[in-house]
Amino acid sequence: MTTEAATIGLTHGGSEDTGLGHRGPESKSIVVPYGFWLFVLSDMVLFSALFASYATLVHATDGGPTTNQLFDRNLVAIETVALLVSSFVCGLAMITAKRANMMATQFWLLLTGLLGAVFLFIELYEFTKMVGEGAGPQRSAFLSAFFTLVGCHGAHVTAGLLWLGTMMAQIWAKGFQQHITRRLLCFSIFWHALDIIWVAIFTIVYLIGTLP
Amino acid sequence: MTENEDDLFDVAPGSPHNNVLSEYVAYVIGLGLALGLTAVSFWVASTSSLWGPGIATGLVVLAIAQMGVHLVFFLHITSGPDNTNNVLALAFGVLIVFLVMIGTIWIMAHMNANMSASPELMNLQMQH
Amino acid sequence: MFGKLSWDAIPFHDPIPLITSMVMLLAIAGIAFWVWRKGWWPYLWNEYITSTDHKRIGIMYIVMALIMLVRGFADAIMMRAQQSLAIGASQGFLPPEHYNQIFSAHGTIMIFFVAMPFVIGFMNFVVPLQLGVRDVAFPTMNNVSFWLSASGALLINLSLFIGEFARTGWLGFPPLSEKEFSPGVGVDYYLVALQISGVGTVLTAVNFVTTILKIRAPGMSYLRMPVFCWTALASNLIMLAAFPVLTVALAQLMLDRYLGFHFFTNDGGGNSMLYMNLIWIWGHPEVYILVLPAFGIYSEVAATFSGKPLFGYRSMVFATMVICIVSYCVWLHHFFTMGAGADINAVFGIASMIIGIPTGVKIYNWLFTMYGGRVRFNVPVYYLLGFMLTFVIGGLTGVLLAIPPVDFVVHNSLFLVAHFHQVIIGGVVFALMAGYTYWFPKAFGFTLDERLGKAVFWCWFIGFHLAFMPLYVLGFWGATRRLQHIPDPTWAPYLHVAFLGAAIIGLGIVLTVVQLLYSIKTRDQRRDVTGDPWDGRTLEWLTLSPPPHYNFAVLPDVHGEEAYWTRKQTAIKQDQLIEEPDYQPIEMPVNTPTGVIVAFFASVCGFAVIWYIWWLAILGLIGAFAIFVWYAWRDEHEHIIPVEEVRANARERRRIRMEHLHNLSQST
Repeated sequence: MTTEAATIGLTHGGSEDTGLGHRGPESKSIVVPYGFWLFVLSDMVLFSALFASYATLVHATDGGPTTNQLFDRNLVAIETVALLVSSFVCGLAMITAKRANMMATQFWLLLTGLLGAVFLFIELYEFTKMVGEGAGPQRSAFLSAFFTLVGCHGAHVTAGLLWLGTMMAQIWAKGFQQHITRRLLCFSIFWHALDIIWVAIFTIVYLIGTLP
Repeated sequence: MTENEDDLFDVAPGSPHNNVLSEYVAYVIGLGLALGLTAVSFWVASTSSLWGPGIATGLVVLAIAQMGVHLVFFLHITSGPDNTNNVLALAFGVLIVFLVMIGTIWIMAHMNANMSASPELMNLQMQH
Repeated sequence: MFGKLSWDAIPFHDPIPLITSMVMLLAIAGIAFWVWRKGWWPYLWNEYITSTDHKRIGIMYIVMALIMLVRGFADAIMMRAQQSLAIGASQGFLPPEHYNQIFSAHGTIMIFFVAMPFVIGFMNFVVPLQLGVRDVAFPTMNNVSFWLSASGALLINLSLFIGEFARTGWLGFPPLSEKEFSPGVGVDYYLVALQISGVGTVLTAVNFVTTILKIRAPGMSYLRMPVFCWTALASNLIMLAAFPVLTVALAQLMLDRYLGFHFFTNDGGGNSMLYMNLIWIWGHPEVYILVLPAFGIYSEVAATFSGKPLFGYRSMVFATMVICIVSYCVWLHHFFTMGAGADINAVFGIASMIIGIPTGVKIYNWLFTMYGGRVRFNVPVYYLLGFMLTFVIGGLTGVLLAIPPVDFVVHNSLFLVAHFHQVIIGGVVFALMAGYTYWFPKAFGFTLDERLGKAVFWCWFIGFHLAFMPLYVLGFWGATRRLQHIPDPTWAPYLHVAFLGAAIIGLGIVLTVVQLLYSIKTRDQRRDVTGDPWDGRTLEWLTLSPPPHYNFAVLPDVHGEEAYWTRKQTAIKQDQLIEEPDYQPIEMPVNTPTGVIVAFFASVCGFAVIWYIWWLAILGLIGAFAIFVWYAWRDEHEHIIPVEEVRANARERRRIRMEHLHNLSQST
C-alpha cells in the first residue's frame, strides 16, 4: 500500500488508509475504481429502465412477429458461453497484469477481445436476420424495445472492445504504470458488469420470453 | 471506536484481494458455477418435467444466483468491513433497479388494463 | 450536404427571435472583443477555461447559471405579458406556435441550465473546502462535466436563431413530441441538448459521491461532516440513480423520431404513457436534487448567523437520507389522472405525503437553531426567513396536491404552476441567493453590498407573492397551464397583478447585476481580510479569501463536529494558533483543455444530429474520441507546488489570523 501514488496533495500525517475517514483521503488506487463502480451502477439503472420498457412492450407486437417466432436459443447459448469465458479470461488478465507480465496479459486481453467479438458477431447476425425477415425495430413496439435493450448491451460491448484495444496499445507502449493498471481494473469491472447484464437479458428476453 | 486501524483500509471494487482463495482459484470456481447455472437455466427453460408456472420464477432465481457468482468471484465483492462502501453502493443500485422495474411494471399493467373498455376493443387497439 | 439546414432556418420573418438573436450575438461579440482588447483571454484560458480547480469550475457553473437565468426570465416575462394582454377579444403579441416554444424553453432552461448548474456550482465550490481537502476525486472529469453542460446550454441558445425550439413543454410528452406531430428540429434541439448535458451530470454525480465518501480530511468521519456535505451526498446519489432513466426516456424518443421506432407512437403498439412513467421516475428525484443542497445551504446559514450549532444534526442527516430514498417512491403523483387506478394512486399519494415529514423535521430544526441564538440579520438570513414562510405554504399546497381526488381537479392548472414555482423559488432560488451572498467573499475576497442585497431580496419576496398567489385562485377557477389566450375576462385583474409581480422580480434580477457591479467597484471598502467574514463554523472559513489553489497548506485534523468552530474557539481561548505544522510540497492536478475540446466536438456532433448532417456528426464523434485518447495518453498528471510557496502563503495566513485573534481578544 505504501508504494501507491499519493492522492491529490496528500501531506502531513494523512496516510492512505481510511475506513471511516479517520486517516484522511484514500489513495487513487481505491478512489478511481470506486468512482467507476458508481458509474457502472448508474449504467445498471439505465438498463433497468430499458428492461422496464421491454417488459411493458413485450406483448405490443402489433400483429407482427412474437418472441417465440424469432429467438433461437442455440445461438443465445453460444453467445452466453462466449461472453462468460471472455469475462473469465479478463480476470486472468488482471492477475497477470498485477504481476506485470506483459506477454501473458496481452494474450489474455486479446482472447477477451476475440471472444467479445464472437459475441458481437453472433448478435449482429441475429439482428440482420431479423431485419431481413421484416422483424426490424420499426415493425412494432415490442421489436423497438427488443432491439434497443439488446442493442444497447451490444453497443456497450462494442465500446468495451474499443476501450480494450486502446488499453492493450497503452500497456504495450507505456508498460504497467499505476494509472494504466487502474484503468485496466476499471475495464475489468465494466466487462464483468456487462456479463451480469447479459445474464438478465438471456434469462428474461430469450428464456422466459420463449417459454412454451 | 476501537478498530485496529492498521487493517482498516478499503478495497477497490473488482480488485482481487488475497484473503481467502488464491486469485486463480476464485476465477475458476466462478466460471464453473456460472457455466453450471447457465446450463441449468437453459435446461429449465426447455424441460417439461417442471411445474409450468414455476419455471419463470425459477429462471429468475437462477439468474440472480449467477449475478451473485459474478459479483463475488469475478468482482470480488465480499462482506468484509473493507468492502462496506462497495456493498452499500451496490445495495443502493439494486434498490433503484428494483423500484424502477417493479414500479414501472406495476403501473403500466394497471394503466393498460384501465385503458381498455373490453377485450374486443383491446384487440383492435393492439392491432392498430 | 447540409442535411435539413438551409437559410430558412434563420427566423428572418419573426421579429422577436430575430431581434433577440441579434442582440445576443452582438452582446457576445462585444464582450469577446472587449476581453481580447484587455488582454484577458490568456488569463481566462489558464485560470478558468482549462482549470481543474473545483473553485474555478464552481464559479463557471454559477456564471453560466446566472446568464441563463436572464434568458429563462425573459421567457417568463413574455409569458406573463402575453397572458395579461391576450384576454377576451385580444390575441396578445405572441402567436400560439411561438408562445409554445417560449414556455417550453422557459421550463427547460430554468431547470436544466439555471437551477442545476447553480446548485452544482455551489457543491463544486464548497464541498471540498468543507471536507478539508484539496479537490474532488476526479478534477479533470469535473472540468469535462462543466463543459458538457455548457455545450447543452449553447445548443439551446442556438435554437433561438437557427431553427426553432420544442413546442411540447419542458418534458416533451409524446405523441406531440413524436415526428408525426413535431416534424421540425425543435424537439431534436431539446433532446440533444439534454442528452449531452446529462452525461456531464452523471459524471458530476460519480465525482461527488466518490469525493464525499472517500476523500475527507483526517478525522472527519461521516457524522462530523457539515450538513451541506450530507445534502450534497444525497443529491448526488439521486443524480447518479435518476439521470440514467432520463437518458433512456429521451433516447427512446430520439429512436422513435430518427429511426422510426415505436416506443411511444400511436401506431405500431407504442405506449406514450410509458414515457410519462419513465420521465417522472427521473423528474421527481430531480427536484430533490435541487432542493436538498438548498436545505443544506439553509442549515449552514442558520447555524452561522445564529451563532449556535445546528439543532438536531443527526436528525437532519437522517431526514436527508430518508428524503433521498423516499424521493424514488412518489413519482406517480405527477400523473394521478393518467388512469393507473385507485390502488396505485392511493399508494403514491400516501408516499407523497410521507415525504413531507422529514422536510418538516428540517424546518423545526432550523427554527430551533435560531431560537435562543443571537441572530444576525444579514442578507442570507432574510432569504432563510423568506424561505420558511414561502416554502412551508408551497409544501402545504403540495400535500393538497398529493391527495388524488384533489389532484383530479387541479392537475395541470395554474394551481399546480403556482405550487411548483413556490417550492422552487421559495426553496431553491432563495437558497441560491443566500448561498451566493454567503460564499461570495470566500470566492472573491470581498463581500457584496448589504443594502442592495436586501433590496434584491424584497424584490424577489414581494415579486414572487404578487406573481404567484393570484395563480392559485385562477387555478381553482379552472385556468389551465400554458394558455396562450385567456377566455375569461374576469381573470384579468389577477393576471395583471401576476405580471406586476414578474416585473418586480425582473427588477430584482437587474438589481442583482447592479449589486455585483457596484460591489466590484467599491470592493476595497468591504475586503474580506481574515477569510472569515461571518464568524463561520465550517472549514471553508479556515482559509484566506480566495483560498490558494490547493486550499489548505496542510489538511486540517478534525476532532469533532464543527471542525472549524472548535478549533477557532480553542485558538481564541489560548490566544494562539495551533503549532506550525511541517510543510511539504503539494501535488495538484494540471490544467487541461480536454473538457472544452470534448464539449466543442459534442456541440458539433449534436448540432449535426439535429440537422441531419450525418458526415459532420460522425466527424464530431471521432473528434471527441480522439481527444479522449490523446488525454489518456498523457504522462504528466500533476504539477508540484514548491514548499517555499506553500510555506510563504501559510505564514501570511497565520500572520493575518494572529492579528485577527489579537483584535478579538482586545475587544472582549
